[in-house]
Amino acid sequence: MSDFIQKLAAIVGDRGLITDPAAKHPYLTDWRENFLGTALAVVRPASTEEVAAVVRLCAAEKVAIVPQGGNTGLVGGGTPDEGGREIVLSLNRMNRIVDIDPIGYSMTVESGCILKTVQETAALHDRLFPLSLAAEGSCTIGGNLSTNAGGVQVLHYGNARHLVLGLEVVTPAGDIWNGLRALKKDNTGYDLRDLYLGAEGTLGIITKAVLKLWPKPKDVATSWIAVPSPEAAVALLSGAHAASDDNVTSCELMSRQGIDFVLKHIPGATDPLADKHDWYVLLEWSSSRPRREGENQSGLREKMEAFLGEEMEGGQVLDATIAQNETQARALWALRENHSEAQKREGPSIKHDISVAVSKLPTFMHEGLAAMKKALPECRPVPFGHVGDGNLHFNCQSPPGWDKQRFMAHHEAISGAVYDLVVGHGGSISAEHGIGLLKVDELAHYRTKIELDAMRAIKRALDPENIMNPGKVIRVS
Amino acid sequence: MPDSLIPPTIPTVPVTPTILESLRAIVGDKGLILDAPGKQPFVTDWRGSTVGNAAVVVRPANTEEVSKVVKLCFDNGIAIVPQGGNTGLMGGATPYPSHTGILLSLGRMNHVLEVDPVGYSMTVEAGCVLQTLQETAASADRFFPLSLGAQGSCMIGGNLSTNAGGVQVLRYGNARNLVMGLEVVLPNGDVWNGLRSLKKDNTGYDLKHLFMGAEGTLGIITKAVLKLWPAAKDVATAWLAIRDPQAAIEILSEAHAASEDNVGSCELMSRACTDMVLRHIPGTQDPLKADTPWFLLLEWTSSRPKAEGAEGMSEKMEQFLSDQMEAGRVIDAVISQAESQSRNMWRIREGVAEASRAEGPGLSYDISVSISKIPTFIEKGIKASLDILPSIRPYPLGHIGDGNLHFSFMGPKGMDRQTLHQYSPAITRAVNDLVRDLSGSISAEHGIGIDKIDELAHYRSKIELDTMRTIKRALDPKNIMNPGKILRL
Repeated sequence: MSDFIQKLAAIVGDRGLITDPAAKHPYLTDWRENFLGTALAVVRPASTEEVAAVVRLCAAEKVAIVPQGGNTGLVGGGTPDEGGREIVLSLNRMNRIVDIDPIGYSMTVESGCILKTVQETAALHDRLFPLSLAAEGSCTIGGNLSTNAGGVQVLHYGNARHLVLGLEVVTPAGDIWNGLRALKKDNTGYDLRDLYLGAEGTLGIITKAVLKLWPKPKDVATSWIAVPSPEAAVALLSGAHAASDDNVTSCELMSRQGIDFVLKHIPGATDPLADKHDWYVLLEWSSSRPRREGENQSGLREKMEAFLGEEMEGGQVLDATIAQNETQARALWALRENHSEAQKREGPSIKHDISVAVSKLPTFMHEGLAAMKKALPECRPVPFGHVGDGNLHFNCQSPPGWDKQRFMAHHEAISGAVYDLVVGHGGSISAEHGIGLLKVDELAHYRTKIELDAMRAIKRALDPENIMNPGKVIRVS
Repeated sequence: MPDSLIPPTIPTVPVTPTILESLRAIVGDKGLILDAPGKQPFVTDWRGSTVGNAAVVVRPANTEEVSKVVKLCFDNGIAIVPQGGNTGLMGGATPYPSHTGILLSLGRMNHVLEVDPVGYSMTVEAGCVLQTLQETAASADRFFPLSLGAQGSCMIGGNLSTNAGGVQVLRYGNARNLVMGLEVVLPNGDVWNGLRSLKKDNTGYDLKHLFMGAEGTLGIITKAVLKLWPAAKDVATAWLAIRDPQAAIEILSEAHAASEDNVGSCELMSRACTDMVLRHIPGTQDPLKADTPWFLLLEWTSSRPKAEGAEGMSEKMEQFLSDQMEAGRVIDAVISQAESQSRNMWRIREGVAEASRAEGPGLSYDISVSISKIPTFIEKGIKASLDILPSIRPYPLGHIGDGNLHFSFMGPKGMDRQTLHQYSPAITRAVNDLVRDLSGSISAEHGIGIDKIDELAHYRSKIELDTMRTIKRALDPKNIMNPGKILRL
């Protein structure tokens, strides 16, 4: 065992150190298996102090650190490079709920907490932690915050950065910044919190967070709606705000292609509607006020039924079903959440996580689908996304039977066409997934030199030795 | 500026006649103020407590001119103090007496560039007066929620640079939550175009949030894309005489559900505070003749018009207030029946700063703690201050939904500014120690500026201060951008 590994073991103990190749493997490849790296070791500290000690050791020995949460990222931000001179620092042993304050609507957690555990802990105290996304059963809150995760409730509650009051961060020098403040207002100097959020572990390692909580929804209505077009989906959402008394919490658009893949690959998935349609919307309304029984008092379900009835007459809705219980609602959500899994099982795909202004979403959809088909006529577009955020997962599945290599030869042509269109519409080439390794060149291509230089200046200043997740987000050298 | 403050070291490169001519070539005669009387209002802070110097006041007409001016200063190492409406309370926009550089006023950049009611956004220049923006939004049937006492003269660039708060934070968040994109002139004169109107954009470091709240020390905000909301269609405003601050918290806690999440504002005022306003602000009237020590201004706002025959905000609030009276939290209350009535209530709240200036010397602390600790803070804070100066007159007020108090004092009757200021360090230490003990913030919304640099240095960890300094040095290596504010390098 090398001297460096021994020093690591002295900090984190045997339990905290993985050097065996087979055991290391899951930490070295990303969820989509697009990237495979190597690492001197996988280090799993049990506390902030251990994280700080590991970082100090790495700073002294000039070993780069790849921080990793649940390793569910889609852009390779948590994957080491192939040089073999990095360590993976996994936060997954730091999974304690430190404190929950239902009265103050806040919760302090370690960064290795699984998102679902955080949600469930909040629910036990009659509170809601609104961050919700497909990987919630395995992603960790530290990764969610480092990537400023989005998900299906952004429409109502905002991105991950809006759900945070305070942070604790281990800096690239191995110092601990205690910014665990549970304050709604604090104008005391630069907003370090928002700098670390979304930095993908390149400026420091988030070790703890004070999260905001909301009242738990007491009345929820979930429906599956066939719509004639993306235009209809945008119009439907626009009308839904008033009809629900501002209680729209999710509005997800899907295409028939995506549903077909889910029905094909996911056991137990069934089509909620009798006929096939081109476009679907999953609409959810939630209120923290319990349903009131009795005359003249109706809940969200009744309001939604009336709303969908009117929209059907207006032609914005072709067919719809409202979940009558939680099991049915879960089944509808599974259709949406299994899109990534189904795409993975179907074969190779190219993903684009883009955003445009909400009003431009239908135009972008039509032009984007045409652009994809033009780049590769046999490809199978699988667009889906968050209507209210102007955010589409504008994915492209390989033609049937193609292997990855053959398909990836068209990667540049397809992605180039999509991103040019996004930028032409004033949009973002990474709405919620971040940059990681995958989009470093894209970012460098589409952002101005001034913006990139400002980011580089910050990176160099805070991480002068470039040991914190080097090569991710932005190249400094 | 606190009497005890030793001014930080700042660049002292002078504005030579040659540089002055270069400035004139960029902004023209219209954009330069050189004579002392003309410069006076720009180099004096709103409260009149800090008077600094500037070789010249430069008033560019557009971003390109700002960029050229900054580039010129960067090349020559000349310090710049950016300024909006000059209504700040911490001296952040006021030059130090030792300042030899320029003061850059954004006042001429006051154009609304675009209003997009469908996309609920508005693109504006930094020198737009806040009230103008509120009115522009309203004329498009939209609402821009930032609202504070100085709205008739403060400018949006200053609001964003200081991450302003105000009376609607409870529902809409601080200024930084109202922004989608920014354009910023960097310390070397480069223009960063971050004017994106996207709800989601995870592409690298969040520069936007770094510039907001940086008080002009990292760059000059020249334009912004602001978020808009639906205009209010049904508003109920009430003035409540309440039992005590604890009752205020309980009232707010129950108001969320009773109003169906439509609480817009909830402002606590002490009797001493309202009396002071009624004494000094012409035309204000006491909404209640209640002889009680605490008042609450409560406003519920909905964007849905009141339906014919249905319960509106007023009816819901009436029911709520009678429940709260039974619970003993509300002693007396009046719901505004006309706009003139609600305007009067708001005039009292918003007139506090002006009244305090008329009242004479005083002390004020803009603090925040978690909401549940507010009553403890008020009680202990008043006791600690009276222990130091028994005749000082506290008039606490604040945005209780944000945990934010303006913990303010009128000087003892007849005591002059100089005498009062002898007690100021001890009271400041006592108040801020209490803030620290209750895990609060020593500047909830007003920022640091000049006035609190030593306080910030005292209460923040070395690591945090060093990180801020590192960022400052990286983005402004020549330390020309509002030097000596927020931090000493």
